[in-house]
Amino acid sequence: MTDSEHDYDVVIVGAGVAGSLVAKRLTRAGFSVLVLEAGPATASAFDDYTNHVQTFYEANSKGPESAWPPAAAAPQPDTGDIRSGDGYFVQAGPLPYGSTYTRLQGGSTLHWLGVSLRMLPEDFELRSRYGVGRDWPLDYPDLEPYYREAEYEIGVAADVSDQTHLGLTFAPGYDYPMHRIPPSYSDDLLAAAVDGMTITLGEDRLALKVRNYPAARNSMPRDGYRPVGAVDERPAGQGDGNGLAQDLGQRCAGNTACTPICPIQAKYNAGKTLAQAERSKLRVIAQAVASKICLDPVTGEVQAVEYQRYDNPNSSRHTVHLARGRAYVLAAHAVENAKLMLASGLGAGSGMLGRNLMDHPSIYGWGLASRPVGPYRGPLSTSGIDDLRGGPFRARHAALRVDVGNDGWRAPTGAPDSTVTDAVVTRGLSGADLREHLRSTLSRHVRFSLNVEQLPSPANRVSIDPRYVDALGNPRPVINYDIDEYTLAGMAAAKGVYQQVFRRAGIEDCTDPEQGAWFPSVVYQGDTLHYHGMGHFAGTHVMGDDPALSVVDADQRCWEHRNLFLVGSGSFPTMGTSNPTLTLAALALRTAQHLTTELSK
Amino acid sequence: VTSRSELFVDISVELTGFSRVQLFGTGMCERYLQELDDVLPPGMVDEFLVAATAPVAGILRDETWGPVARNVMILWYCGRWTTLPDAWRVAHGTRPADTNHVVSAAAYQAGLQWVAAGAHPAGARQQGYGAWATAPEETVL
Repeated sequence: MTDSEHDYDVVIVGAGVAGSLVAKRLTRAGFSVLVLEAGPATASAFDDYTNHVQTFYEANSKGPESAWPPAAAAPQPDTGDIRSGDGYFVQAGPLPYGSTYTRLQGGSTLHWLGVSLRMLPEDFELRSRYGVGRDWPLDYPDLEPYYREAEYEIGVAADVSDQTHLGLTFAPGYDYPMHRIPPSYSDDLLAAAVDGMTITLGEDRLALKVRNYPAARNSMPRDGYRPVGAVDERPAGQGDGNGLAQDLGQRCAGNTACTPICPIQAKYNAGKTLAQAERSKLRVIAQAVASKICLDPVTGEVQAVEYQRYDNPNSSRHTVHLARGRAYVLAAHAVENAKLMLASGLGAGSGMLGRNLMDHPSIYGWGLASRPVGPYRGPLSTSGIDDLRGGPFRARHAALRVDVGNDGWRAPTGAPDSTVTDAVVTRGLSGADLREHLRSTLSRHVRFSLNVEQLPSPANRVSIDPRYVDALGNPRPVINYDIDEYTLAGMAAAKGVYQQVFRRAGIEDCTDPEQGAWFPSVVYQGDTLHYHGMGHFAGTHVMGDDPALSVVDADQRCWEHRNLFLVGSGSFPTMGTSNPTLTLAALALRTAQHLTTELSK
Repeated sequence: VTSRSELFVDISVELTGFSRVQLFGTGMCERYLQELDDVLPPGMVDEFLVAATAPVAGILRDETWGPVARNVMILWYCGRWTTLPDAWRVAHGTRPADTNHVVSAAAYQAGLQWVAAGAHPAGARQQGYGAWATAPEETVL
C-alpha cells in the first residue's frame, strides 16, 4: 500500500452532480480538492463522448445504460438484470427494485432526463401536515436560495410564471437562467383537451392543467446568462485549457434521446460543472474505486480514504492507495455511499444507515390519439400534470406526478421497433399497407408515466453480505424492497388518472403490460400493477435533527464522524414527487457553503 | 442479366412500400444484401432473390421464404436482424450471425420506421430547436 503524494483540503468520492458541485465551489474558494471517481472518464472528452453515442446507436436494447457500459472494476445495475435478479444488485425482495445508475465520471446525469422540479413546500413537512413519512430538518424557505443557485449552476430552462402553483414561491424578481423549452405539439393538443378537467382523490377535487416542465437543457438565455456548452477536457497543451467546447452543446436540438445520451450535450451533465472548477486546485483521479473509509481510532474522525486504482477498464488488476484530506465528502450515489459506509463499519449508531431506500414506482399508460400528434420528436418530456402532487389526500395515499412523453411508446413497449415487428409478424402486413399502418399508428402514439411517491420504510434497505462481492472484492449492494399500502393506493389512483385523462382527450387506451416490455409487478386489491423505477434512489443516509434517528444532520454532516459529509439524495428524509437531482444539487451547494466556512476557520 | 442488388431492391420495394429511389437513398442496399449473405446458409440468398420475383403474397406464405422476407422488412424499417424462427433454423441450418442485432450505427439511423412516423432516429438527424412544437410532417427522403 502506498500513500498518495499529496494531502488535500477535501477528498470527494464521486464525480457526479453532487461531488462536482462541491468540487467547483471549494476549489473556487481556494481549497485543494481531490476527486476520486470509480468509473472511467470517457465522457469528459468530446471525441470519446461521441464514441458513447455510437455505442448507443449499435446497442440492441436502447435502455438507460445502453450508451454507458461499466468497467469491470466498477460494475453497475442494469435494467436488463431486473427480471433475472442476477446483476450487480442482489435483489433480496420481496419485490425487485426497478432502478439503475451509472458509475462513470459524470454519473447518472449522463443519462438523466433533465427535468428539474423543485420539491413542494409541503413535501418537507409530510409528518406535520399529513401524519405520514418524516419531516425534513429544513423547510422550503431554508432551501429556496439554494434552489436558485442550483438552477443557475446546472442551467435550468423554465419560466417562473409557469411554476407558481402548489405553494411554490420564488424570490421577488427571480426567473430561471433560460427561457422555457417550447412545449411539444402534443403537449398543446393535450392541454387543449384536458385543462380544467377535475379528478377526485379522496375527498379532494383537483383541477388539472398541463404545465411546462423546468429542464436542465439549454434554450434561450435570459439577461446575460451564458449557457454552458459540451465538455471537452484535453490533455495539457491541447484544447483551450478550460475543459469546455462552447461552440458545441448549445440549444437543445430535439434529439429525442435525453435518456440515454444527449448527443450534443445541450442537456446538463456533471462534467460541465467539474470543468468549471478552479483547475489549479483540483485533481481528479478516474478509475479509482473508494474501498474503505479509515478512522483515527482516538478522535473517531476520518483520516484517509482507501481506493483501488485500475488502468484497464476490462480488468480487475489494480493497486491500492490512500487519499488524505482535512474533510471528506461521499458523493458516490445513495446506494454507493451507504455501501461504502457499511463496508467500512461506520455510521451504524442510529441503525438507519442503508435504510429508508425509496424510488418513484411508476405506472405507464399508453394509447392512440385520434389524430397525428407528432411523437418521437423533441426532448423526451416537455410537460406534465402537477396538480396531483399535493393536497390533503396525502394523509391517505401517495401523491403522484404525470409525466407526458414525447417519445411515443418507446419506453413501455420498445416502439417503434416493436410496432414494426407487430405489423410484419403478427398482422402480416407488407408493402404499402405496412407503410400506411406504421404512418397512421406511430404518429398517434401517446405515453404517460405516472410517478408515485414512496415513503421511507426502514425495511427497504441496502445492506452488504460477504457472500456477494464484485471483481475487486468490494461488496455488491443487497437490496430489500417492498411497496406499502400507502404507495400501492397511489399507484392504483394513478392508473385511474391516466384512464380518465385518456377518455377526456379522446385517446384510445392501448395499455397492455402483458404485451409491452417486461416490468416488475405487484398485486393490489386484485389488480396487477406493473411498475418501473425512475432511477430516483433516496433515503439511505437520512438527514435529521436527532442523531438517534438519522445518519447526517441538515448540513449532510455525519453525526458520528464530524469531518465526514454524505451528500446526495441519500440524505432525503422523503422525496415527494420531484425527480431528485435539483434538490440534491441545492443541498450539495448548501453543504459546500458550510464546508467553506468550516475550512476557513 | 439483372444484378443481385437490383433483384434485392426490387423485392425490397414490394416488401417495404418505399420506392427504389428512397431505398437507394438510405445507402443501405449493399449492406443489407451483405447481411443476408452473412446470415443465411450458403447459396440461399441467390435462391431467395429468384423466388422473390413471384408475387409477395405467395412469398410471405412460403415456409422457407416467408420468414426471410419478414426479416428483410424489419431490416429496412429498424436496421436490425431478428433471429429466424426455430422451425426455420431446424429445417435449413444456422449461421453464427443469425442473432438479434443492430446491423450497424448507420443502419439504425437509416431505419424507415422513423420516416413512416414523421420523426427522426432518436439521437440522430435532429430536427432543430423547437421543431417539436410544430405539427408533424411525413419526412420525404
